[in-house]
Amino acid sequence: MNLLLKSVCRGGPAAALCCRSVACGGVVMPERTKLKFMDKVPTLKKVRREMKRLKDISGPERKLNTFTTGHYGIVALGGGYLHWGHMEMMRLTINRSIDSRTMFAVWRIDAPYKPITSKGLGKRMGGGKGAIDHYVTPVRYGRLVVELGGHCELGEVERVLSEVAKKLPFPAKVVSRESLAAMQQEEAEKLLNNQNPWTFEQIAVSNMLGIRKVLSPMDLRHHGRFAGKFRVPGRV
Amino acid sequence: MAATLCSRFLPKQSWLPLAHAVRHGSKAVTRHRKPVHFLKQKLLAVTEYVPPRSEGCARNPRVSHTQQDSRVVAFLSKQVKATFQQSKMIAVVQNNSTTAEDMLMLKHRLRKHDIFVKFFPNQVMRDYLANSKYSNMELLFIGPTVLFVSKEPKVKEMLQILRGSPQMVLIGACVEDTLMSRQGILQYSQLPSLATVQGQVVSGLNVLTSQTAAMLHRHPAHLSALLQQYLKQRSEGTSEVGIPESQEATTT
Repeated sequence: MNLLLKSVCRGGPAAALCCRSVACGGVVMPERTKLKFMDKVPTLKKVRREMKRLKDISGPERKLNTFTTGHYGIVALGGGYLHWGHMEMMRLTINRSIDSRTMFAVWRIDAPYKPITSKGLGKRMGGGKGAIDHYVTPVRYGRLVVELGGHCELGEVERVLSEVAKKLPFPAKVVSRESLAAMQQEEAEKLLNNQNPWTFEQIAVSNMLGIRKVLSPMDLRHHGRFAGKFRVPGRV
Repeated sequence: MAATLCSRFLPKQSWLPLAHAVRHGSKAVTRHRKPVHFLKQKLLAVTEYVPPRSEGCARNPRVSHTQQDSRVVAFLSKQVKATFQQSKMIAVVQNNSTTAEDMLMLKHRLRKHDIFVKFFPNQVMRDYLANSKYSNMELLFIGPTVLFVSKEPKVKEMLQILRGSPQMVLIGACVEDTLMSRQGILQYSQLPSLATVQGQVVSGLNVLTSQTAAMLHRHPAHLSALLQQYLKQRSEGTSEVGIPESQEATTT
């Protein structure tokens, strides 16, 4: 695991010369510029079948939703599972299009680790849980999937990234650092300047009119903004 | 099999997840969009995002309306300017549903006293007044207004005629560059004519001097009155003496 030292950018006369960190808009090229190969199956001593735990897809991504090294990337606008086929598609398309001397691409998701079982075709119900069929990576709304950086502009990478984004199993969008920050700030501002005196959270938490009869625990957590893995548009 | 059959009919608009959900409800996270309970739909409708109103947007649409027909507006504003320059009295009256017949009668009566009835659009009036010295009159021009203009300030006659038509409400008037309210106009009409007022002013100024003259003359006047009285008494006395003398003369 790479430990990236965060450089604290202090202003002043020397800033223009020595401050070349990524946060200040500088470009730091990594050693391997292309997307690395992802294993189809994780290397584990003990292979265990797991429960579905669909909550790993629902709701917003709270931690891995900001840029680290790159400047442009794909952000997920819905929940879903990425399997090895998706990752191969991404890897091949992006590696083909980037110039390895000036641009670099970085994975922001892990290799598939969650086992998905399948009973096989035509089998009757019963007889225990099925065998592991394949592995997937869960992705939530707001997660960054892949990052691009280097000495390049948005116009150059936008074409490739949008092609990749269309093929993903969830709705996705090409973003830059600034546009993602703007998106997140807009959502935060909407929360503050909402003129409606009634909010979903207030009514659900205080169980006004016994509305919790028709609400689920997810509604209490996500305040009506998410329905399953989908982000309900227009909800604040 | 019933379960699989039922699953096809799930995504209907009017299907309510009441009894069916208990039998074989789907999980919380599904591939399809789950039908939302009607009460939850209502809750979502009530708690929708309401953006803050920006003030600039509300004001802008009003500005564009005055750009229409600039030539007509220019002509009207010239007419307004001319009326203000020529007339000494300008009364603003609000007409509430006056019939054409009543309007005609009113115009006839006013015309006899050389008062003209003018109609101008409020917007044109306000634009003209804002740039002129009559800017305080802008407030009067709200609603259906009519102008009564005349060269001589004939307030009393105008009030008498307006008393006859109750639906015409006098709001205010500008008489000889003085803006007056309704009460002010009534008081103005009750003022006496200029000659009498002048006479009153002159007499008032002369009061002091006449009083001092009278005071100065009091002593000599008193003295002369006393002397006259004395003379009168003396003449009466001599005449009394004379009368007996004459009587004596006559008798003798």
